[in-house]
Amino acid sequence: MPASDIRPPRLAARLYSVWFRHMRVYTRNLFSNGLPPFLEPVIFLVGIGLGLGRYIATMDSIPYLVFLATALPVTSAMFTASYECTFGTFVRLDFQKAYDGMIAAPVTVNDLFVGEILWAGSKGLFFSACVVLVISLFGAMPMPMGLLAVPIGFLTGAMFGALALVVASFVRNINHFNFYFTGFLSPMFFFSGTVFPIDSLPRALRPCAEILPLTHAIRLARSLAIARFSPVLLADLAFLAVVTLVAGYYAIHRLRRRIVM
Amino acid sequence: MADAVIVFDKVHKSYRDVKAVDGISFDVAPSTCFGLLGRNGAGKSTIMQLIYRKAERDPTPPGTISVFGFDPERDELEIKCRSGVVPQDDNLDEELNVSQNLRIFARLYGIPAKRAESRIAELLEFMELREKANASIRELSGGMKRRLVIVRALLNQPRLLILDEPTTGLDPQVRHTIWDKLRQLKRGGLTIMLTTHYMEEAFQLCDDVLIIENGRAVVRGNPKLLLGSHIEPYVLELTDVKLAPQVLARLPAGTARVEPSDESVRVYATDYAVLKAVADELPPGDHHLRPSTLEDVFLKATGRRLDARQ
Repeated sequence: MPASDIRPPRLAARLYSVWFRHMRVYTRNLFSNGLPPFLEPVIFLVGIGLGLGRYIATMDSIPYLVFLATALPVTSAMFTASYECTFGTFVRLDFQKAYDGMIAAPVTVNDLFVGEILWAGSKGLFFSACVVLVISLFGAMPMPMGLLAVPIGFLTGAMFGALALVVASFVRNINHFNFYFTGFLSPMFFFSGTVFPIDSLPRALRPCAEILPLTHAIRLARSLAIARFSPVLLADLAFLAVVTLVAGYYAIHRLRRRIVM
Repeated sequence: MADAVIVFDKVHKSYRDVKAVDGISFDVAPSTCFGLLGRNGAGKSTIMQLIYRKAERDPTPPGTISVFGFDPERDELEIKCRSGVVPQDDNLDEELNVSQNLRIFARLYGIPAKRAESRIAELLEFMELREKANASIRELSGGMKRRLVIVRALLNQPRLLILDEPTTGLDPQVRHTIWDKLRQLKRGGLTIMLTTHYMEEAFQLCDDVLIIENGRAVVRGNPKLLLGSHIEPYVLELTDVKLAPQVLARLPAGTARVEPSDESVRVYATDYAVLKAVADELPPGDHHLRPSTLEDVFLKATGRRLDARQ
């Protein structure tokens, strides 16, 4: 007796409702959650840029402060998305059992995690926007081209959200995420062209840097911000898209077994 | 049964080498309350989860599940949008307050914001939580949290309400309140499926109970009728085992069935007079003569001993 008067929400509505849930929980503590993206770039620019910048005038033929500033929107997107989809996801999965509650409503496991990756992207976008804003106040961000780093923040957030979900799908003890942060993300921060161009790496290591997802995100953000366009950027864009889709697909495949018995 | 809300037909479900559900078949009629009874690990929660695809049945041997005519593994959304689920854990969002928790779920159900507000107000009133609308989850007592989860499950005006141990750990006042609310909902046409360890709860609420043991159905029926068909109507409980030899010696052969446990003995009989005659000769305090209950049916069907899964 399938009744026709009741219809489940459409895909877009389901994804939005998952996204909305995360947004509501996040904005409950907007001040404490929203302050870091404003403060961190300031600390970094003051600590590294102003100090080191006095000794290094240009890097890769642009002012060193600009070189740093054009990477920071995406590195902060990377870190926020990674925290959200490692520790955050694990807490929802294991401690709060939030997914167990949500899955009783008309949403599928796919909806849950696609919505979550979109949320990670949105956080990336929010963080990049904050960083671009703050840095432009220092005069270190070329404007208005620097605004193009903001959508790259979304793509970076979504990609690192998807990667973090893969990690979360393997982790059974919340402390093990520390390995991911100190073993993968922190080194990547330094070897993906954040503080020096990857061209200055030893020739043998350069292909390794090209494998790191952050390399492509930084090259996109920086090139767009300083209006240095090249076809390589399309390859970078494709890299981000492919990693997001593959990691997202694999993560959902694995996480399904943590939720659906 | 063509118009049954839920139909399970020879459903199997294994977790690695453990068989949680072993060829279960049953059906739930509309606007009735169906109770699943069984010890911990018997397979109750798994059966509930199979209904809304929180768990997936084994592909072999093939079994079928139909909920409102839909197969959960093909049309989970169709089932979920017509159902409300009260899981065993409360899993409320502690970072949000009562109304915010409900608004998030209203959105998950696709309820327009305006209608959600009136529905939330109406249900908080119904579950006697109106003053708690803006309270944080941490301020709520266990009973309030449970009622809130029931409110959450009713937001979409479901036709089927699934409750996994709705009153475990709650005090008698809250339990009776929840029972009354569930009766009221059933009268309004809602189909209810619940699991419980409280035989009194099943007796009070259910039109139909299924006792399961090791994933298999062992007894099925109306709880009131089961008392007539599956158990002797009277029982003499001896809480001092030393009384047992004296009692057993006095009982005419074939008139009673004895169930011993470590520190007590229960003597079941059809004839009240037989038990009464024996009981009258015992010193008061260590024995109790009473009508049998669903709990006696349950223990007879599933045994008194603990098993490895408990």
